[in-house]
Amino acid sequence: MKKLLIILLLAVVGYFLTVSMSNIKFGANRMGDLSQPKTVGAFYLSKTPGELSVANVITAIVVNYRGFDTLGEVSVLFLAATGLGSILYKKKKKGEHIPTVNKPSSALLQAGSKLIFPAILVLGAYVFIHGHLTPGGGFQGGAIIATGFLLMMMSYKDFTMNHSVITWVESLAGITFASIGLIGLIVDHSFLENFLPIGYINDLISGGIIPLIYVAVGFKVAAELSGVLDTLLSIKEK
Amino acid sequence: MLFYTIVLIILAIILLGVAIYAVVQKDLLYAVIATGVISLILSVFFFILQAPDVALTEAAIGIALTTIIFIITIRNTSRMEDEMPLDHEPNSESDNQVETK
Amino acid sequence: MMEIIKYIGYIAIGIGSIFLFLGALGIYRMPDVYNRLQAGTKATTLGAMSTILGVGLVEPTWFVKSLIIVVFIAVSNPLSSHALARGAYRASLTPFMKKKMDAYESEIQNEKED
Repeated sequence: MKKLLIILLLAVVGYFLTVSMSNIKFGANRMGDLSQPKTVGAFYLSKTPGELSVANVITAIVVNYRGFDTLGEVSVLFLAATGLGSILYKKKKKGEHIPTVNKPSSALLQAGSKLIFPAILVLGAYVFIHGHLTPGGGFQGGAIIATGFLLMMMSYKDFTMNHSVITWVESLAGITFASIGLIGLIVDHSFLENFLPIGYINDLISGGIIPLIYVAVGFKVAAELSGVLDTLLSIKEK
Repeated sequence: MLFYTIVLIILAIILLGVAIYAVVQKDLLYAVIATGVISLILSVFFFILQAPDVALTEAAIGIALTTIIFIITIRNTSRMEDEMPLDHEPNSESDNQVETK
Repeated sequence: MMEIIKYIGYIAIGIGSIFLFLGALGIYRMPDVYNRLQAGTKATTLGAMSTILGVGLVEPTWFVKSLIIVVFIAVSNPLSSHALARGAYRASLTPFMKKKMDAYESEIQNEKED
């Protein structure tokens, strides 16, 4: 009986999905004429190069036009990390060390991960510093840096992350984001308004506050995710 | 353009197969690896559909971090899914027997 | 001169795709985990390196970037296959052929005694 109900529900949902989706032509250009924008997407695409001189329009939307949403997302991630830490984190005694992996990895893996780790960090930093020029941004760069730390945690038994450093980096990055928004509120009468010179398109220093915010978000996400991974990995096994 | 459409259709079929495998599989480690494969195919999808930002996010978070977090969870709990039939009602017969005793 | 470099690049891409195909075929044909890893890593490492180097030769502005990617593949690909093979051995997957000597077993024994 339950299975029948599930199949019926799936059929109903599938029917309505196909009906609503079949009206949209796959891959059709729905943006229209860019010189006379009628949709929101066309408006952003036509306005961004002149107003902000940012090459990657998605970054301009995420950080500038919809900057408040990004602040909300960052705080959601912060809340998730805090919740996980408050359940699982145990304060270590002085000198105590809980190994992250219970079997030591081979010498080859340890030497190799020592070689790869700086490259991963540089890649992550590149992704969030160049967020306004190339695809990528704070979240992606932070996640890449966290995977680098994960590699070190998995290959070295004695690799420790200093939780007070993580806390400081995360709080400073969050404060930077919020205070940039507040300065915009003071200078230009609206939260997260651009108050810096926008520069020329395709320059590294361009786009006003966007690179600053993305650097802050990158540090914040990297600290949060690597803190989460460290907390999860140092649970004592039964 | 036709080439990309054909690639997308093939990838979508593989995606459906892997997703069904991940749901049906009782060994949770295999299911987690299958979800990683889903993320990989999805990131190729996003890249072909001209959304490289989303593709980067999916690659970093979906393939690496989510998979690792699930594997750590499996390490600390049990690897196999509990055998629980769909029509099972938890407090039907066994509890009644206890009461009659 | 530029034309010759371009054709060398195309030849490198061709060699790379042949090796990538052989790697895929090896993964399909080989009998057990270790042989599959062998085919899937050695062939695809050379294939990917050669393909990316060929792309760098065809587009000279990308040459430095492709060199960096080649170095990264040369470091990371053998490492991952090594970790996979080690994990497979520790999960006690037996090789297809009868093994004549096993140096790693004694190492694991030493680890357990420590």
